[in-house]
Amino acid sequence: MTGSPALRLIGKRLATAIPVLWGVTFLTFVVINRLPTDAAQQLLGVNATPQQIEELRQKLNLDEPLFSRYFSWLGDVLSGNLGRSFASDQTVTSILSERLPVTLELLAYALIVSLLFTVPVAVLAARRPNGVVDRITMTLSMLGLSMANYVLALILVYIFAVKLEWLPAIGYVNPSDGIWPFIKSLTLPAISIGFPLFCFYTRLLRADILEQMQGEDYVVTAAAKGAGPWRVLIRHALPNSLFGLLTVVAVNIGTLVGVTVIIESIFALPGIGGALLEAINNRDILVVQGIVLVLATVVVVANLVTDLLYAVLDPRIRYGRPAS
Amino acid sequence: MAAQLPEADAQVPSLALAPAGAELERPRGGWLRQLDVLVPGTILVFLLFLFFVWPVIGPVGKPTGGNILNANIEPWSAGHIFGTDPVGNDIWSRILYGGRNSIEIAFSVQFVGLVLGGAVGAIAAYWGGAVDMVLMRVLDVLIAFPALVLALAIAESLGPSKSHTILALCFFSVPAFARVSRAATLRLRERPFMLAARLSGTGTGRILLRHITPNVLPQLVTFALLGMGIIIILEGALSFFGLGVPPPNPSWGNMIFEGQGILSAEPRLVLVPSAFLFITVLTFNLLGDALRSRWSSV
Repeated sequence: MTGSPALRLIGKRLATAIPVLWGVTFLTFVVINRLPTDAAQQLLGVNATPQQIEELRQKLNLDEPLFSRYFSWLGDVLSGNLGRSFASDQTVTSILSERLPVTLELLAYALIVSLLFTVPVAVLAARRPNGVVDRITMTLSMLGLSMANYVLALILVYIFAVKLEWLPAIGYVNPSDGIWPFIKSLTLPAISIGFPLFCFYTRLLRADILEQMQGEDYVVTAAAKGAGPWRVLIRHALPNSLFGLLTVVAVNIGTLVGVTVIIESIFALPGIGGALLEAINNRDILVVQGIVLVLATVVVVANLVTDLLYAVLDPRIRYGRPAS
Repeated sequence: MAAQLPEADAQVPSLALAPAGAELERPRGGWLRQLDVLVPGTILVFLLFLFFVWPVIGPVGKPTGGNILNANIEPWSAGHIFGTDPVGNDIWSRILYGGRNSIEIAFSVQFVGLVLGGAVGAIAAYWGGAVDMVLMRVLDVLIAFPALVLALAIAESLGPSKSHTILALCFFSVPAFARVSRAATLRLRERPFMLAARLSGTGTGRILLRHITPNVLPQLVTFALLGMGIIIILEGALSFFGLGVPPPNPSWGNMIFEGQGILSAEPRLVLVPSAFLFITVLTFNLLGDALRSRWSSV
């Protein structure tokens, strides 16, 4: 074994990431093919004659065995071709490039806003555990964590769209049609996703800072050298705790994508979730496969990047010894 | 990561039943210090009474088959505390039966997750090596697999029903439990009493059953309580995609989904089930959180 430890780690992680991606896409393929009707039947509707269905089936290559279709898809993907939609004849790549930005914008908006609030609130709460700020934060965040995001979304729509008429209830405005309407169109969905996240992250960050402040030697050292309580908290404990928070953020991105689907459907946003629903409904296998591949890749890459970040920042992991 | 509260510092961090001599210390200060468990516990018992006992013994109407002539009765009218929905069903009765469905589904899902996921995680950690590797990769696939595809596929191929909802949700709970159980078992593996058990010739089955299970179980039960709320919320989410409890049979999820269309005209159709969903999830979260700070694990 030669090469730097970091490279070896990347190799090891990639070796486990690729089977996962392969497993996810294969499982999706099997699941969609096991559904009682296929794309030919779904696209032609109930009035189609068996002969018409059979013709379309042959045209779409649905009559070939499952394995050969999967491996020909896999071969195409490896050469960079995701195929075409059965329903619209659009390429899967163009569907993705149309739909994915909406979802990513929504996710980014929700994540940025929730993290911007999380850090100061968690620091204030951790400054005096069990103080007034801490108790209010902990209570509010517990309430927020117990609220389903679809419920939050509907309540926000009722207050801000129906009653106050400040923000649109549904629809998406392209950023090229005006940045302010674009932000307005994504605000309610982003709060619906971001508020529970804020509650979750704040509890996590607060607990982590408290753990650092109580047990770690470097905190004692910093205090002994005469750093004030705020300085110890913000300059010494916070950076360490932020690191843990970012890990959770990365690991959670996969779950977040699932959450986005339901929020997108409530707010009628043309994101990846709607495309996935439509494609499953049409048994549009190649589109489903393309979307699933992208989503699973996001999850796997997020985990990979987290692992590597850890290794970059913590030499113990880089050299194969577990941290703590 | 243990979200350890400062009050919980007095407690031992190791597990309740660890034979290494650690015993669960009760928080000092008598029953007042137990309020964090007692309050949500009492509310939970009350909710369970409402959902499971009250419809049997109390004056609660049928949740389905309402008369269209009784549609959209205002809240607080005689016989209908929360009024009726657009097809004439009593909302209060639908809330109670929907609550029963939610709890039954969440309990079944968490039970399957605890038993199956717990076993998989413990076995993976105990055997280690290739077994661990394979089992964990399978779980990684399940975790990275878009849950929506699976849920819709189950709904489409098997048809929506309560048991299929449980099946779909188990795909969330089993991998999660397996990870918790694996991490807990890994920590146990190096403990002296495990070595002692192995050296004295205890069989693998007996070690798993008598040494690992009792030590991992408290963590898994706490994790199950914390997950109840998530499963109840997810069950509601499935109703938005046509899985979940099929109407007219009530669930909070399908009530919210049906009310969504006429939100501006009749907000109570969304607000009433949402409020019950919120209170129930909050109760489970508070209880789970309080127990977690007792054991300061998971």
